Amino acid sequence: MTNDIVRNHPAGSTSRKQKVIRAIGFSPRSLWPSLRELREYGDLIFTLSVHRIKVRYKQSALGISWAILQPLSLMVIYTALFSRVAKIPSDNVPYTIFAFAGLLPWTYFQSVLSNSTNALVGHSSLITKVYFPREILPLTYVIAGLFDFLIASSILIVMMIYYRVPLTANVFYTIPLIVVLTLFGCSMALLLSASQVRFRDFGVAIPLLLQIWMFATPVVYPLSSISALPDNVQRIYLLNPMVGIIENFRRVVVRGLPPDFHLLSMSALVAVVVLPMAYLYFKRVVATAADII
Amino acid sequence: MIDISLEHVSKRYLIRQEAQIDQRRPAVLHKLLQPLRRPHEFWALRDISFEVQRGEALGIIGHNGAGKSTILKLLANITTPSSGEITINGRLSALIEVGSGFHPELTGRENIYLSASILGMKRTEITRKLESIVEFAGIHEFIDTPVKRYSSGMYVRLGFSIAAHLEPDILLLDEVLAVGDAAFQAKCLKRIKQLELAGTTIVFISHDLYSVKRLCSRVLLLESGRIIASGDPGEVIKTYTHASRIAHTESRNGLSFTNPNPDPDLQFEVEQVDVLDRAGRLKQELRTGDYVRFRIVWRAKEYLEDGGVELGMYTENGVPLIRYSNQPISGFDIAFRPGLNTVDLEFQQFPLTAGDYILSVGLSRPMIAWLHRNDNFGALTVGQGRIFNGEYLLTSDYSVMAVPHRWIVPEPDLDDRELTAPGAVEIL
Repeated sequence: MTNDIVRNHPAGSTSRKQKVIRAIGFSPRSLWPSLRELREYGDLIFTLSVHRIKVRYKQSALGISWAILQPLSLMVIYTALFSRVAKIPSDNVPYTIFAFAGLLPWTYFQSVLSNSTNALVGHSSLITKVYFPREILPLTYVIAGLFDFLIASSILIVMMIYYRVPLTANVFYTIPLIVVLTLFGCSMALLLSASQVRFRDFGVAIPLLLQIWMFATPVVYPLSSISALPDNVQRIYLLNPMVGIIENFRRVVVRGLPPDFHLLSMSALVAVVVLPMAYLYFKRVVATAADII
Repeated sequence: MIDISLEHVSKRYLIRQEAQIDQRRPAVLHKLLQPLRRPHEFWALRDISFEVQRGEALGIIGHNGAGKSTILKLLANITTPSSGEITINGRLSALIEVGSGFHPELTGRENIYLSASILGMKRTEITRKLESIVEFAGIHEFIDTPVKRYSSGMYVRLGFSIAAHLEPDILLLDEVLAVGDAAFQAKCLKRIKQLELAGTTIVFISHDLYSVKRLCSRVLLLESGRIIASGDPGEVIKTYTHASRIAHTESRNGLSFTNPNPDPDLQFEVEQVDVLDRAGRLKQELRTGDYVRFRIVWRAKEYLEDGGVELGMYTENGVPLIRYSNQPISGFDIAFRPGLNTVDLEFQQFPLTAGDYILSVGLSRPMIAWLHRNDNFGALTVGQGRIFNGEYLLTSDYSVMAVPHRWIVPEPDLDDRELTAPGAVEIL
C-alpha cells in the first residue's frame, strides 16, 4: 500500500479532527493513534466502569460485600486445609493473614481474567452497531476488579490490626506492585477477550487455566517451599510473572520487608513487554470482529 | 472541502462453509479438520473510490448485496477495509439501529447517559441536553423507571431522540427513518432538515428511491461491489430501474411479479403481484384503458388486526403517479391472517398510457411503521390502447395519464340550444 496520495484540502483549513480508517498494520507504531483516541473517550470509560460496578451489585443480594466475601471465604477454606490439615509453613506470620494477603491480589487478577474473556463476545450487539474503541470493554472489567480489590484491602487492614502485625514504610511498595499487576491484567484481558472472538471454545478452558496458575504461584504457600523442587523446575517456576507480584505483596505488607527486587523487575519486564504485543493482537482481531462476531 | 474520501477501498469477507459430512468418516475427524478447510472468499466491495463534499447530501442505492451496508459499516468504522483508505474529516454519527446499548435494568435517565456516551457525547454535554432529549422522546413521566418497562414505541423514540441530539459534522442515514407514528416521523424529518440547512454533510443509504431523490443532491449506484453510476439523482435512479427491468422475468404464462428480494426474516412480506383480467386470469399484456385487477399476495407469520396494503406506480424518475392503500387512503382496515393473504386493486379503465413504469408495494401498520416495503418490486410495461377517438395513440412521453374527459365546443351563433356540437367528442 503506497502512501503517495496527495490530499486536496489546503493546510489548516479544517479545525475538525481527521480520522483515517485502513487495515491494521503489524508495527507497534500503529498503536499511538489508538492511545490518543482512548484519551478522548475518557468519559465513556468512566461511565461504563461505573455502570459495570453498579450492575454487578444491583443484581446480587449481597451487593458490595461480595468483594470482601470472595477472598475471605477462600481464606477460610485454605486455612482449614493447609494450615490445620497439611500444616504448611507461613513465613512466621499467622497462616490466616498469610493466606489472605496472597489471595487479595490474586482474586483481583483472577476476576479480571475470568470476567474479561467474554467482554467482546458478550457485547456483540454493540460491536456490530456503533463505533467506540473496543479496548474499553475489557478495560472496564480491569477497573471494576481494581475497585473490588480496594474494597477488600480494607479487610486486610482490619486483620493486620487484629493480629497485631506491624506496618512498615515498605508498604508503599504496594503502589508499583499494583501498577505492574494492573498492566499485566490489562494484557491478559486484551489477549483473552480477543482470542474468545476467534476461538469460541477458549473461555471454557479459563477456569482450569486459572486454577493451575494459582497453584503455580505462591498464593497459599510461601515461595521458600519451592526449594524442594529440582533446580531446572525452579527456574521455569520463576518465569511466572505472578510470582514476583504475589510474593512481594506479602513481603511488603505483612512481613514488613523490602521487596525482592530481582523478582519484581522480572515481573515488571514481562508486564511491559507483553502489553504492546497483546494490544496489537487485540487491535488486529477487533478490526474485523464485527464481521465474525 | 472534502468531508469523506474513499480511496481504492475493497472489502473481502471470508465465509466458512460447512462441508458435506462424509458418512464413512467419523464425525470427530470432520470437526478437527474444519479449521483446515479454506474459507470461501466474497468481495463485497471492489476498488471503490469517491468523495463527499462538505454540505453535500449523497445518496447510495443498489440491489441487496450490492455493497451498500458494507459501505455503511466502513463509514461508521464498525469494520475496517481489506485494502484502501477512508478519510473522514469531522465527527460522524450514524442514525442507524437506535436503542443499541440500552441496559434493561437501568432507568431511562441512566440509559441516556450510557447510550449517549457510547455515541460519543461528553457527560457535560449530556447533562445539558437531557431535558431536550426527554422532551423530544415524550417520555417525561417514565424517565426514572427501568427501560424494561417501556413499550416498544417508547424504546424506539428514546433511542432516536438521543441520536437526534448528536450534533455531527457528518450524518449517516439508512432505512431506519420509518419508525414511530406520523407525528414523530415528522419531528425526525424536521430535525434532519435542520441539520441539512446547518450545512451537515449527509450520506443516505436506502431502497426508498423517492426519499433519496427528495433528499440528495447526488446519487451513487452500486452493483456487485462497484460503482456503476454517479451523478444527478434522476438520471442515476433511471439507470437503476432500467437495469432492473432486464433482470426481471415474466413467469407463469402471464403478467406476474414475484418478490425480487425476498427476506425470510420478515414477519410480513409481499410475495407477488398478479395482473388479472375480468375473469380472474393472468393478463398477457396490459394496455391503456383495460379493465385490470392487481392482485397483491402477501404472507403473514402472525395475526395483525389492522394492516395496511399499498400499491404504487412510479415513473422511471421516481414520480409517484399512483399510490393507493386501504389505509390511509381509502379508510378501511384489512386483517392479516397467518399464511397467505390477498387483496385486489381494481381499475375499470387503467389510466396510464403506454410506457415503462415501476411497481412498488408496501405492507404497514398504518401511520405507525412499515412492515415491508419495496419501491422497485417490478417493471411494468403498459402497451398502447385505443380509448380516445383520434388517430394518435397516447404514450407516456406525450401524456402519462389517460383520464376520461370531454370537450365542449360552443356554437358561435347560438340562441339557447345545447352546447354540444358536431365535432365534440365523447370518450368511452
